[in-house]
Amino acid sequence: MEAIANPRITCAYLNSYVGKNVIVVGKVIQLRGEEAIIDADGNITAHLNREAHLLAGNAAQIIGKVNPDLSIKVLSSMDLGTNVDYNLANTVVEISHQHRNLFAYE
Amino acid sequence: MCYGSQGGDDGGGFMAGSQQGSQSGSSGRNFADDTLRPVTIKQLIECKEPYPGSELAVDGLPTTQVTLVGQVRSSSTHTINITYRLDDGTGLIDVKKWADSDRPETAVSFAPDTYVRVFGRLVSYNGKRHVSAHFIRAIDDFNEVNYHLLEATYVHLVMTKGSAAAGQAGAGAGGTDADGDSMFVDGGYGAGGGGGGGGGGAVDARLATCSPAARTVFNFMANSPGEHTNVSQVVAGTRMSAADITAAADELLAGGIIYTTDDDDTWAIFDV
Repeated sequence: MEAIANPRITCAYLNSYVGKNVIVVGKVIQLRGEEAIIDADGNITAHLNREAHLLAGNAAQIIGKVNPDLSIKVLSSMDLGTNVDYNLANTVVEISHQHRNLFAYE
Repeated sequence: MCYGSQGGDDGGGFMAGSQQGSQSGSSGRNFADDTLRPVTIKQLIECKEPYPGSELAVDGLPTTQVTLVGQVRSSSTHTINITYRLDDGTGLIDVKKWADSDRPETAVSFAPDTYVRVFGRLVSYNGKRHVSAHFIRAIDDFNEVNYHLLEATYVHLVMTKGSAAAGQAGAGAGGTDADGDSMFVDGGYGAGGGGGGGGGGAVDARLATCSPAARTVFNFMANSPGEHTNVSQVVAGTRMSAADITAAADELLAGGIIYTTDDDDTWAIFDV
């Protein structure tokens, strides 16, 4: 039992989480070798690891660390298929920041 | 669903044992109050024990049956149970699924990174908390994860602030203080907050041309401690979305009412 939170964020929150681990759910716009562009209310560049098996056009969840240039170094990634409601995912991000007592540690 | 019978069915004699230990019959567990509550893992980590040996409480309400979602981070198989370490982005907690020798077909194990839904009982044992699972299944539709997080938030708000329907009734009857959260925020940062700091007449005059969102953000900043205010603080304080706040801040920046400090998302009020 550990108090370690990986906050769910969208593009708009990247600036506030430099150097921290985050969860991003978004649509894979482009795959170029070990780099992916993921749309989560705005495009985010993700540096993938070897184990990544993402598909362009599908949804993905990535967990990783935000670099100073606002790209994300991916620690773990997961393909979520095509049936993901992006508006819902973005709403959850907003809700999780509005009700921080349920989701995040200060 | 009848939790009374489920409780007896679950985990062998464990529950009966703990009941015996704490309360000798006089006030046994009241199954009528036993609700199944959707929670985030952080709520389970932070929930309180009103007194040693009592039921754990989330938002001040005794909570035993919970449902949660999470990604399996690791699992360890023992002779009598499988322990999964679950992560939902808000914390980590152990979930134990006890082996049921009568129904060996229920013993499926989940691979790391799988999203699962758990129905179970929150247990505090030897100072450590875990969830004793009645049932675990894999989540096929990822949207269920998001639905669950919204549901947990909704239940938390209903438990702490009253239901939305009750709030509307209160507002209709002329704004009794049962009307909840949104009215309070408007009152705090929208209407009444202007005099809180920073400004004076000159800023108030410039604010008059701004959108309501910009005024809300300004009033929040004026009332928050410290000179620098980050977008995440504004999000937490005003319950606006980050995009709306950024737009409002752009408006205030253009008007010369605030300025950026540490980075593009941190602002301070420009004192005239």
